[in-house]
Amino acid sequence: MSVSTDELISEITGIVAEELGLSPDAVSPDADLRAVEGADSVKVLRVVARIERSHDVELEDEEVFGASTIREVAEVLKQALTETAAV
Amino acid sequence: MTVEDHLVKHHVIENPAAQDQTVEDHIGLPWYVLEDYRCFGCSPHNPHGIQLRFTHHGDGLRTAFSLGRAHESYPGVVHGGLLGVIADEIMGNLVVLRTGLIPFTTGMRLRYVLPVIVGGGYDCVAKVRDGGGQLVHTEAEIREDGGALVATATASYQTVSLDAAHARMSLDTSEIDRLRRALAARTATTATSPGTLSEEPHVSVD
Repeated sequence: MSVSTDELISEITGIVAEELGLSPDAVSPDADLRAVEGADSVKVLRVVARIERSHDVELEDEEVFGASTIREVAEVLKQALTETAAV
Repeated sequence: MTVEDHLVKHHVIENPAAQDQTVEDHIGLPWYVLEDYRCFGCSPHNPHGIQLRFTHHGDGLRTAFSLGRAHESYPGVVHGGLLGVIADEIMGNLVVLRTGLIPFTTGMRLRYVLPVIVGGGYDCVAKVRDGGGQLVHTEAEIREDGGALVATATASYQTVSLDAAHARMSLDTSEIDRLRRALAARTATTATSPGTLSEEPHVSVD
């Protein structure tokens, strides 16, 4: 069963909001993650680690650190999930 | 001395966090029946090692650790490679205790989140993700005493019987016999999900 990008965006938005102590409504999927209030590189790494654990995937550093927004992270995750499912 | 006597034998350790765990708390690893084993990660006999001790943590294991300047990278920061040692050590011993087999690491990946500080208190916990196939897959995470995540790890282990593995180890017949009984004893007391992990060797080592 494939997960839609919108579902992944919603999930990642929840994780980002939790890590930053914000309401999910305050986090836009198209905002620059590193420019969101309270964000820093460690918090972004925590978000990445949580996503990897919850989906049992390993995201490529080049791709995940190249992503600026939640939507882009969701697309990286969706691609990784697709590749995992294809194995 | 019986196998069980060996398993609860008190060891002098140098890892201060490990010293907080009493003899009754920590798990007697099968390797303890080997008086002079020198595992860098878990031997109490290796003065250059980190002398980890483990306790049960749900279906997994937990270890507390605090490393000193001998394990430094940048000033005041623990060398990141040692987090791999700790993660590998706890996950590998978890596989030993769950299967009674000898695991060889086939792959491991770490996600570093925060630096580990010299003298700081940390916890590492590990659990088996799945073990129904050729490999046993495990995961671990390291957190500060306060709870902040500092690293996650995933690994895969190929398990082999002691009979198959001992050709690659420096053990005499008596040690192999003691270790075989200790592996069987530990597996009998710690295996909680026998349906998920095979107790038969997956591969042979020639």
